[in-house]
Amino acid sequence: MSSTAAIFNKLEKAGTLAEDAVLLVILISMILLAGTQIFLRNFFDYSLFWGDEMLRLMVLWLTVAGGLAASRMDKHISIEVLDRFLPGPMQVATKVFIDLFTAAICGLFSWHSARFVMGSYEFGDTLMTDTPAWMLQIILPVGFGLMAYRHLLIAIKRPFVRDDSPAGGKP
Amino acid sequence: MIIAIALVLLVLLGAPLFAVIAAGAFWNFYHADIDLQAIAIEFYGIAEMPILLAIPLFTFAGYLLSESNAPKRMVRLTSALLGWMPAGLAVVSLVACAFFTAFTGASGVTIIALGAILFPAMQQAGYPEKFNLGLVTSAGSLGLLFAPSLPLILYGVIAEVPIESLFLAGLLPGFLMLIILSTYSIWKNRAIRTPLGDFSWQEVRAAMRESMWEIPLPIVVLGGIYSGFFAISEAAAVTALYVLIIDVLILKEVSFRKLPSIIRESMILVGGIMMILGVSRASTNFMIDAGIPQQLLEWISGFVTGEFAFMVMLLVFLLILGAILDVFSAIVLVVPLILPVATQFGVHPVHLGIVFLATMQLGYITPPVGLNLFIAGYRFDRPIVDIYLSTLPFFVFLMFSVLLIAFWPALSLALL
Repeated sequence: MSSTAAIFNKLEKAGTLAEDAVLLVILISMILLAGTQIFLRNFFDYSLFWGDEMLRLMVLWLTVAGGLAASRMDKHISIEVLDRFLPGPMQVATKVFIDLFTAAICGLFSWHSARFVMGSYEFGDTLMTDTPAWMLQIILPVGFGLMAYRHLLIAIKRPFVRDDSPAGGKP
Repeated sequence: MIIAIALVLLVLLGAPLFAVIAAGAFWNFYHADIDLQAIAIEFYGIAEMPILLAIPLFTFAGYLLSESNAPKRMVRLTSALLGWMPAGLAVVSLVACAFFTAFTGASGVTIIALGAILFPAMQQAGYPEKFNLGLVTSAGSLGLLFAPSLPLILYGVIAEVPIESLFLAGLLPGFLMLIILSTYSIWKNRAIRTPLGDFSWQEVRAAMRESMWEIPLPIVVLGGIYSGFFAISEAAAVTALYVLIIDVLILKEVSFRKLPSIIRESMILVGGIMMILGVSRASTNFMIDAGIPQQLLEWISGFVTGEFAFMVMLLVFLLILGAILDVFSAIVLVVPLILPVATQFGVHPVHLGIVFLATMQLGYITPPVGLNLFIAGYRFDRPIVDIYLSTLPFFVFLMFSVLLIAFWPALSLALL
């Protein structure tokens, strides 16, 4: 049992690290690429033909990676007005239900976006002239799939942790 | 109908907004026999809006600035310029908070970053504690109307209004709020005659030298945007690159090791906002196709006639909305529905944007649930009731300015 827990902990750490790395790499490359574009445009009247499209795709990747990070910290934008009026055990039960609901929706989204990406693969869609589109769109099924996993995990852990955070789930 | 009630209940119980909106979209699309892939395709549309680039870039720059010593330097510079006034420190605090919020967008950040400096300083200068708490809490949302604030940009994206016009339109209403609150602060503290100090060119020069790296930022960014030299997303890229170089490489106030956690924190906010934006693209388009705005218009026309009555109703609605929903989600969810209705009642889309944000800003400090009230209570470790009472006068004056902004459209539209 303890060895399973150890593997699990390692997996969690590696996951957080990977998320941080993805966010860092995308954001810093985004800043540098956008800066380069402005520099080239103003001083050389030239721009990288794939640059603007790449930047827009980076926004999509940041959105999903940021959403995944928000799922890990359980910090998605939400309104909590009713749950503080519920008695303690009911609160936990409600939260678990909501975690499961969120996991299910993310799972559903992941499934249907996978169908979308499959379609784009079969049609041979391309972005930035010759890059296969599915390579860049794959973030949708993968990201939402991981979010479903995260919320499922939160649901399982929820009954064993005490949640006293003051600001609720708001960022 | 049962589904709609269930979804609202889920929201009130604290389910993530994006999940509830996605659930609604799945349900509606399923019933209209539309392939559910369409929802993923709508979400993918995030990658087709160039302006959205500005959101992660400005958010990151704001978080990075608040982690550096820039807030401290800004307070010193503002004090040197405005400290000679009676109740100078209060005015300094208001101006500094407004400026900082404009650049960081998310107003909770201002309370945490600037409140930590201003609150003790005002205590020490002998201002009453109740006043200080109220000022720091309410000033956190001041500045939402000044460029390049994130909510203004987001409104422009959703309402399809030129963002440059919004930046111009926000100027006078923003200054109005600042002036009204400053006047109140000066009057309220008329007993504290002693200003911070005499105006001294020496101190101004010293403060400017200290802030020499930050001073070009607003000049380049705002000058660039207002003159049309930069597109908004370009200005955001310049800001992020500039702040990154200054704070990490030149001043070295933020270490490389801290960078991943700052990026993580700021991108959690960005992810949170943009996930809602992505899923609501699907639900909004569905609602527009289903004619919800027309139904809303007909329903409202049943008991409201004329622009004045409509505006009154809108303000009440936005005030309640602002108290329970953050400004970003509110823009994404509500603007597509009320914009067509408001236009029918003769409200200019740009004016609507300014009224929307000004009222939402007030919502942040509306008891009992306004978000900034909780942030301040948490940050300054005070019971929430104390925060309610101390923000009340500020709330009343801001309310008054919101009414002026709402019923005096020229204030927003004069500069266009």
